[in-house]
Amino acid sequence: MTSPAITSTRPTIKFDRISVILWIGAAVLFAGVFAYGGYLITVMQLAMIYGVFCIGLNFFMGYTGQASFGQNAFAAIGGYGTAILCVQYNMEPVLALVTSMVVAGVAALVVGYPTLRLRGHYLAMATFALGLITYDISVQWTSLTQGYMGYAGIPPLGIGSYTIEDERMKLVCLTVLALIGLWISQRLRNSRFGRALRAISGSEPGAAALGIKISRYKLIAFVIAALYASASGSLFAHTVGFISPEVFGLHMVVVTFTMLYVGGVGTIAGPLVGAIVASLLPEIVRSTGRFQDVAYAAILLLMLIFAPKGLYAVGDLFRSRKVDKPETRA
Amino acid sequence: MNVKTTLAAALAASAFAVLPATAQDNIKIGSSLGLTGYGSLTDGHWRDGLEIAIAAVNAKGGVLGKKLELIAEDNKSTPQQAVVVYRKMMSDDKVSAFDSGCISAGNFAAASFVSKAKLPMFLCSILPRQPDEQKWAFSFLPPPKFEVDARYDYLKSKTEVRKIGLLADPSPYSLLMRGIAEKAAAEFGLEVVANETYQQDDSDFSVQIGRINSAGAGAIIMLGQGNAVVTVANNVKNLGLNKILVLGSINERDILVATGNVLGEQFLFPSPLIQLAADDINVITKPESRAAAEPFISAMKAKFGSSDSSMASRAWDSIMMMAAAMKKANATDGTAVRDAFEALGHYDGAGASYDFSKEQHVGITKNPYVMALVKDGKLVLKK
Repeated sequence: MTSPAITSTRPTIKFDRISVILWIGAAVLFAGVFAYGGYLITVMQLAMIYGVFCIGLNFFMGYTGQASFGQNAFAAIGGYGTAILCVQYNMEPVLALVTSMVVAGVAALVVGYPTLRLRGHYLAMATFALGLITYDISVQWTSLTQGYMGYAGIPPLGIGSYTIEDERMKLVCLTVLALIGLWISQRLRNSRFGRALRAISGSEPGAAALGIKISRYKLIAFVIAALYASASGSLFAHTVGFISPEVFGLHMVVVTFTMLYVGGVGTIAGPLVGAIVASLLPEIVRSTGRFQDVAYAAILLLMLIFAPKGLYAVGDLFRSRKVDKPETRA
Repeated sequence: MNVKTTLAAALAASAFAVLPATAQDNIKIGSSLGLTGYGSLTDGHWRDGLEIAIAAVNAKGGVLGKKLELIAEDNKSTPQQAVVVYRKMMSDDKVSAFDSGCISAGNFAAASFVSKAKLPMFLCSILPRQPDEQKWAFSFLPPPKFEVDARYDYLKSKTEVRKIGLLADPSPYSLLMRGIAEKAAAEFGLEVVANETYQQDDSDFSVQIGRINSAGAGAIIMLGQGNAVVTVANNVKNLGLNKILVLGSINERDILVATGNVLGEQFLFPSPLIQLAADDINVITKPESRAAAEPFISAMKAKFGSSDSSMASRAWDSIMMMAAAMKKANATDGTAVRDAFEALGHYDGAGASYDFSKEQHVGITKNPYVMALVKDGKLVLKK
């Protein structure tokens, strides 16, 4: 798997004219949704939560070039962890979120150590099994998870007596958290650690020849992805106030993969862009009624055909033309 | 500006002025339905029932001089989408009340903000678990125990079978019923000697059936809807097990007929009377229930032909009761409708009898199921 993360040596957050237009477009979209209110606020809240998940998944799948179909397991740990700690033990939501992240990180470390010795399809199958096992545990261990009845009454995010009840404020809070996640991703991608991950993605034997400890770096990327997934699971629980096994099922795997590839796997902002686009798109085609899914799938197909590197890489088409022109003349 | 342009502008302006007025004149009923995903079978029937009930109410002049309008949204059988569509129907469509399908998790996920908005929720599913949310929710689902009890009671009172095997799929409703079936067996002097599971898309159940048979069970209690029961029937027949009873779950009429055609009287199932009444209205003997059932059956046959009726009948009842509550309250705001609904008292509907009150938000309190079998391609009462 070759991603733009490997093939591009340019600085990844660009501030040329195209980037500025894209960022202004995103800001206008956000402001429009914020001003319009209504249910689009909820759609954007979920987009930000999935965005956090996808930014984490991008570490493992984008930067490192590995396949994981089981990150929903760590979202479930985050969701149920924060629900149990808040509802059963009256823990502060922020503290519960962080504690759940630690638990998910340790779980990823324990599971990842043997699993990440596998490669390619075998790794994909192993991680897929991880997701299925966690789903079954969340269904069957009813004394802990309440099974299909789900966990209700989970408090909203807040610190002390201050809780974020207002839907617009929830969106602002989730957006800020997603941007922090994005910033961390950007900082790590261009660090020594990030370059090692991208080297692994390009060629594992090549990276090993450069002295990169493949297993260790893969494991760290896996744990980082799990931390993000756990945070997104917790954020879902605090935003909606209810979780059940279906939230963290196979549907989550499919949706987040779609978001990652639509936005641009291996790019920095692609996962967040994909999460927003894939969340808003069904609402744009909602007026098609019973053909909503068909219209949604058709547009996704067109996107993947005409922007195979993801929407975030679309700007590169214009940039490369500018660069190509003098060469053509020559 | 010439005369034509002025007229066109005036017409356009009046059209825009009329459109929202027309929409506001209707009383909008929101419905979150799993039209795709695992809930599509049941929720599709729930929508059918809502549609014909609303058409029937509107044909009689509507409610308080206004037409009812159904706003149905697909939640894709997931809680995430349910939250989105509930929010959409509240903020954009401005619905007066909800009458939603059987995806419990979806209804639970939305219950907190729907109850805060003081909108009544009429549900095909079980009630949400938070007390504050339950104040605004009303369940039209027969308690799952009734379905198990109907079969156990039949075995106890009409047969010599005392050892049974459970065969359940992993859907939320079936898992809930399996827990009930395990606990309730002793109440009826029955012993669960085998407890097997299957996947809904499995193509053969011979192994599970063989294990149940070798454990000495005299009856297989199937817990799960869908056409897996047809496969079970074929497996039982192919294995030559002509003594073992197969007691299926409530199911689609066509599936029940297909299963009965394979096993004959060896196959029995719990069924609400309305499902049998589609073939013979005389099975409903109570005059009030029959008066409620007849227009429903006529409407179903007119619009859907021989479509299944048990789920749709309760959706029909829910709309009729909602309309009655709005008329009683002489208002459509959430609090007034809820209070009037709680004060409706006993109601004989097409699908069941209901006894909602301020304290009782699960309407069906008496077991509506009878045991039935398939005879000559029709569903008939087992006597």
